[in-house]
Amino acid sequence: MLLKSVDNIFWLGRYLERLDDTARLVNATSHLLIDSHKDTRFSWPILLDVMGLDSSSTLADYQLPPDATPEQASIEYAVMAHLISNNASSVSIRHTCSQLKYNARSVRQLIPRDMWEELNMLDSFIQQHCQQPGGRQQRYNLMTEVSRRCQMVVGVLDGVMLRSDAFGLFNMGRHVERADMTTRIMDVMVLQQLQPTQIKRPKFRWTSILNALGGIESYHYYLAHQSSDVDAIDYLLTFADFPRSIAYCFNRVAASAKGLPHSINILQQVHQLQTLLKAAPLSELSTEQLHSLIDQIQAGIMQLHQVITEPAAAQQQQLSA
Amino acid sequence: MSVKSFTRGGYPLTANCFDELVHDDGSVRPPAAAIARFIDKHGATELCQRQIQLNQTISDMGVCFTLYSDGSNIDRAWPLDVMPRTIPGSEWQRTSAGLKQRLTALNLFIDDLYNDQQILKDGIVPAELVLQSKNYLAPCQGISPRYGVWANICGTDLVRDGTGRFLVLEDNLRVPSGVSYMLENRTVMKRVFPELFADSTIYPVDDYTHQLWRMLASLAPRSSDVPCIVLLTPGIYNSAYFEHSFLAQQTGIELAENTDLFVEDDIVYLKKLHGKQRVDVIYRRIDDVFLDPQTFRPDSVLGVPGLIKAWAKGNVAIANAPGSGVADDKVIYAYVPQIIQYYLGEQPLIDNVETYLCLEPKQRSYVLANLDKLVVKPANESGGYGILIGPRSTLAEQQQMAAAIKANPRNFIAQPTLNLSTAPTLCDGALEPRHLDLRPFILQGKELYCTTGGLSRVALTRGSLVVNSSQGGGSKDTWIINDEV
Repeated sequence: MLLKSVDNIFWLGRYLERLDDTARLVNATSHLLIDSHKDTRFSWPILLDVMGLDSSSTLADYQLPPDATPEQASIEYAVMAHLISNNASSVSIRHTCSQLKYNARSVRQLIPRDMWEELNMLDSFIQQHCQQPGGRQQRYNLMTEVSRRCQMVVGVLDGVMLRSDAFGLFNMGRHVERADMTTRIMDVMVLQQLQPTQIKRPKFRWTSILNALGGIESYHYYLAHQSSDVDAIDYLLTFADFPRSIAYCFNRVAASAKGLPHSINILQQVHQLQTLLKAAPLSELSTEQLHSLIDQIQAGIMQLHQVITEPAAAQQQQLSA
Repeated sequence: MSVKSFTRGGYPLTANCFDELVHDDGSVRPPAAAIARFIDKHGATELCQRQIQLNQTISDMGVCFTLYSDGSNIDRAWPLDVMPRTIPGSEWQRTSAGLKQRLTALNLFIDDLYNDQQILKDGIVPAELVLQSKNYLAPCQGISPRYGVWANICGTDLVRDGTGRFLVLEDNLRVPSGVSYMLENRTVMKRVFPELFADSTIYPVDDYTHQLWRMLASLAPRSSDVPCIVLLTPGIYNSAYFEHSFLAQQTGIELAENTDLFVEDDIVYLKKLHGKQRVDVIYRRIDDVFLDPQTFRPDSVLGVPGLIKAWAKGNVAIANAPGSGVADDKVIYAYVPQIIQYYLGEQPLIDNVETYLCLEPKQRSYVLANLDKLVVKPANESGGYGILIGPRSTLAEQQQMAAAIKANPRNFIAQPTLNLSTAPTLCDGALEPRHLDLRPFILQGKELYCTTGGLSRVALTRGSLVVNSSQGGGSKDTWIINDEV
């Protein structure tokens, strides 16, 4: 494959996963809301913060439609508009889908026809149905459908795509993004329900979030087979048999790196992250320490992205010289 | 069941025009019998239903073309009419032989022009016509590409006259496009009309991509290795990018932009993930003058510096070879029958449309006196731009054209307004005749190949003769039907 396609195919994987994960995040938080007691007020703007936006300025700039209903005037609606329907919002599902399509176009020659068609159908579905964030029930169904269609693309690709460098890079993109998103979802859990404290953190058992991640059954399996005292944090960070755990994602990135010219650099970075996970005494951490660990992992994931795409840039310079 | 009832007497034939599916007496031509049976059985409502299904399939498949409009690029869904166009297999065999004959002669002509120029010395084609053409590229002199073939991929536009005879309207020898739509049209139609494909013998078209690869591979300068072939595209914003990426995907060759290539010691390399790779063949979809800023336009941002030198040294093949465009000048077109006769000693199997050359004083006076009846075309434009269609033009437009012709007679030709053939086309729920043409694609490398049929382009506006998709034209799937008993 061409050197310049490295970036596009990697981003194709990232954006596809981001679509799926954003849909899951929306549903996870909606469920969290349903589980909450009336007196715990869910703070919607925090969702924008974990997606990397500044919630206060983002919401301050938000323009209500002139004929807004009371529901549409809510903070929840504004946040959901940013996450789902607002094309100008860099984290919205619609925007992400446009980026996905752009990258697919750039590397169309690497993509099997069947996958190209699935991507087209995904794009037309999203552009048609994600124009409004909708009410809660409608939103739930819509997000489930977005997620399902993303899975269709992956399934088709897995069945027909050549096992080439492009396949490896696409999968690395998916797993880097997924690890990143799982840390973001954990951030919501930690930030939402607790003020950072110095004392040992309490146990997290958010079945709603695990449900949205598709991992509730395997979580119960995990609990039943662990001798030590563990919770959802341990599970999401270290249980490598669960395909949305951070540990699993890192393993997949390492496996996909084989055969690439810069695989050594990638493996080194993955190894560093794995060491970080293993070294942390998870159950002993205070909430603050846990928060800081998640920050460290996120920084490491950004580094990993650089390592995967940067040698390409370096080689490009060398070739043009 | 009578095939006559296909149109139920309600199909309005156009006077003096050949209809592809219906005889003058209203009966259905034999190749269209299966379609007639389908419509008799299911009715117009079902046909409309299939058109909706077809449009959805095109959207799902992402078949589109890019239109540059209002300063931005917009992807438009590819327009395909639900009604196919049918051609008898026996007629196609003769046509295909004529197309191959024509390309063979044109390639001998181009090779001669850049080498001995015997045809000019023999006075068959006026030398100044060729040598002053902006498509005659002096840096190509003395070069002879493999097999002496310059135009490896040709898209020839065919039209029928009022009697139904195929005529060549123009030869596209530079970067002809449209073949991907021919292939995708068939894929769509097979999904939408599976029963029709079971009901008649329609020759397949999907061999093209393999033939294209074989032809490109046959051009490779190094014979021992698996050739490295790339399609050179101007990039994802180009109007034909859909086709570029489609062909690269379907043939398994690399899709490269100029920045993915570089030249070192007159060898072209591709920047790949695992390092540089030597390129053997470039299927370029960029115009000649943009190919290499060192040789042609220095301001080209699409070209690869040093490419032409590498090609001239025989280190890389370029398809179509730079300079091929000299033979698809619309003035040269008028000489093609003589060119065929000169090189092959044969009569052309397909005739030209009668053509008046504005550079010939007598013909020019005729053209200027009959601007309201003729179609006037600039010699070197494509996409249907700059054309005057006499009977549909205003006096002001005619006067403007007259001035342009007088200022630069060499740049214009004129042809009689043709009674282009028609075919039943679904328009607002009814079948109406619409004019169409046909662009088959012919390949020449080591061997010759012609597509089975081609891309049928149809003018969707009633009475219109403009079939270009950039100007509101649509398309039809072209069915070559086995008519041998």
